[in-house]
Amino acid sequence: MDRLTVLCFAGTYGLALASELARFVVQGSVRWYLTIGLTALGWLVQTAYLGNLALAQHKIPVTSAVESQLVLAWIFALIGLYLMARAPKGTAVGLFVLPMVLGLVASSQLVSQRGGWDEWGSVTRFWGTIHGLFLLAGAVSTCVAFPAGLMYLVQSRRLKHKRPPRFGFALPSLEQSERLNRGAITVAFPLLTCGLLIGVLLELGRRARLGHPGLGWSDPKVVSASLMWLVFAVLLNARLRPSMRGRSVMVLTIVAFAFLVFTWVGIDVLDLPTAHGTAAPAESGRKLP
Amino acid sequence: MRLLALGVDHRSAPAPVREALAFDGPKLAQGLDTLAESFPGSEFVILSTCNRVEIYAAGAAEEVPDAEALREFLSQFHQVPVEQFAHHLNIAQDEKAIAHLFRVAASLESLVLGEGQILGQVKDAYQKAVQNGTVSTILHQTFQAAARVGKKVREETGLDQGKLSIASVAVDVAKGVFDTFSDKTMLVIGAGKMGDLTLQHLKALKPGRILVSNRNLERAEEAAHRWGGLAVPFDELLLALKEADVVISTTAAKEPIVTYEQYVRVQHARSNRLALILDIAIPRDFDARIGDLEDVYLYNVDDLRAQAEQNRSRRQKGVDPATAIIERETAACHAALRHQRHAGIVLRQLGDHVDAIRQREFEALCALRPGLDDADRKAIAHMMSRFQNQLLHQPRATLRSAASEPTPDHPPHSLLNAVRHLFGLADM
Repeated sequence: MDRLTVLCFAGTYGLALASELARFVVQGSVRWYLTIGLTALGWLVQTAYLGNLALAQHKIPVTSAVESQLVLAWIFALIGLYLMARAPKGTAVGLFVLPMVLGLVASSQLVSQRGGWDEWGSVTRFWGTIHGLFLLAGAVSTCVAFPAGLMYLVQSRRLKHKRPPRFGFALPSLEQSERLNRGAITVAFPLLTCGLLIGVLLELGRRARLGHPGLGWSDPKVVSASLMWLVFAVLLNARLRPSMRGRSVMVLTIVAFAFLVFTWVGIDVLDLPTAHGTAAPAESGRKLP
Repeated sequence: MRLLALGVDHRSAPAPVREALAFDGPKLAQGLDTLAESFPGSEFVILSTCNRVEIYAAGAAEEVPDAEALREFLSQFHQVPVEQFAHHLNIAQDEKAIAHLFRVAASLESLVLGEGQILGQVKDAYQKAVQNGTVSTILHQTFQAAARVGKKVREETGLDQGKLSIASVAVDVAKGVFDTFSDKTMLVIGAGKMGDLTLQHLKALKPGRILVSNRNLERAEEAAHRWGGLAVPFDELLLALKEADVVISTTAAKEPIVTYEQYVRVQHARSNRLALILDIAIPRDFDARIGDLEDVYLYNVDDLRAQAEQNRSRRQKGVDPATAIIERETAACHAALRHQRHAGIVLRQLGDHVDAIRQREFEALCALRPGLDDADRKAIAHMMSRFQNQLLHQPRATLRSAASEPTPDHPPHSLLNAVRHLFGLADM
């Protein structure tokens, strides 16, 4: 089991993507079964990897950014596999799902290897895990909403330009993509709200305990997460307002996803000064190693 | 082995000739029965559609009727003089006959390239022949391969992708916008022929409600009755538009009947829900700017026609890859049939060879032991026969299996030669 690395399942997902891309030249059931089979295999390998990680650490692997990202990719891959298998064989759902899965796996390797909640007290560790789980579930929903929004925009563009579907590149109807997007956004908002609220309460508790702020309100992670929440609030509101439907909502979904990516990965990748996820406030304001 | 395909199609013969030679309804079974009685030992399938009438005959070369005999059969069966159709007949033999059947199943020979019906018709013709007991090894294998090739060509070349008529393109567009139609309202404005035709296609999507509006309420009611819908007075058109998710407009109005400003209000009232407008009237019924509204998809007759043309040219691009698949599959099918025939001969020779040995040895034994009674002789003959069958069972199964797996360049399977050499059988 120890020989299982991220490369094992990332490679399998990569092969699944190559098989999916081949839809432009190779049609037929064999290619479809190959794509589904490889995605399922990748998911099983990833399950084994995460199971091994959980057994080795004796905890659910969601307490660090790297682990959360891998679990996010794992859940999204399962949802994507379901969507791909359920859609008609000619529908190119995999072209939107598989790059996302690969992107999530790849970005997990970009975030820093910080200790997470483990280095904190047991109460904080518990609530930290709950905070992480809520945000993870919200992120999964956002990840589902994003490709649905993209598919809507591509299909809408084709229909507006009066073009027939390209051979091997059929997409779900606008109504289907909209339904998927709407459902995902509706689920994502309360989950993200709960996750962020627990995060705020944790920070307030920490301040009370240490007597000084650990995570400032101007921390990039806090600012980005707040903006993301705001975009989701607008999105949810848009659902109830007739003036904003269809393409506008889909564009807003993409903005929300961009905030999610920035909050989750971008801050680490850009090396912005954040104290989020550290055991004690960093002296220089930079994150701890 | 011989395989013969003989018949007429939409290219070679005009409709009256095809009609005269058609095997409609009970005529098909009668035709198959007559062929089986006239040419025992041969296999037959009759493919009879509105665009083609074809007889496929197969069997041993000396038993299969030739083209002349089949012409006579057609003439006598349909009571049509040979001269009336003889020069319209297409004839193909052996590998060319297989290729022809594959091209037919793949719809390369159809009036509308890539149409889906023909594959079902080929399968149906085969099933009917199976039911009539006029199919054996050769046509079983050839028609099953044709069904497989027809499916493969469609899957791999996209030959059946995209609709070619305006009405069916409209259905495709509707499916691109909406997922389910049982909760949707369709509104037909005007009661023209084109509207009727389009609605006929869209009705297959099973819409929840159909509204019909026309300046002439009587005609609207008549059309609504025909389509199981509800007539709406023309002065309530904007209210009907508010309800409608799919609109088909075909009035003969000189000016647009719905302006941009009007539809903006309609769309606001329907909370900007997705709307598809198929404006197939000339001049157009809807202001073209309505198509700029975010959740409104407006198609006019030119848009639908252009899409049908694009689909047509795309299908045309699939012809070369389809032909390549057919050439490959034809060679494989022909080789498999040839191998099976060789295997059949070798198996028959092997059976005869061993039968002769068994018989000879049995007679020698009887001569050596004249005291054996009938019961003993029977028991010994039975034992020898069982021994022979059990001994040959596995080699026979292996040879049959080997013959059904064509080798890359289709040479006869080496096992066949090996068996011939091992048992000293005569060369074919």
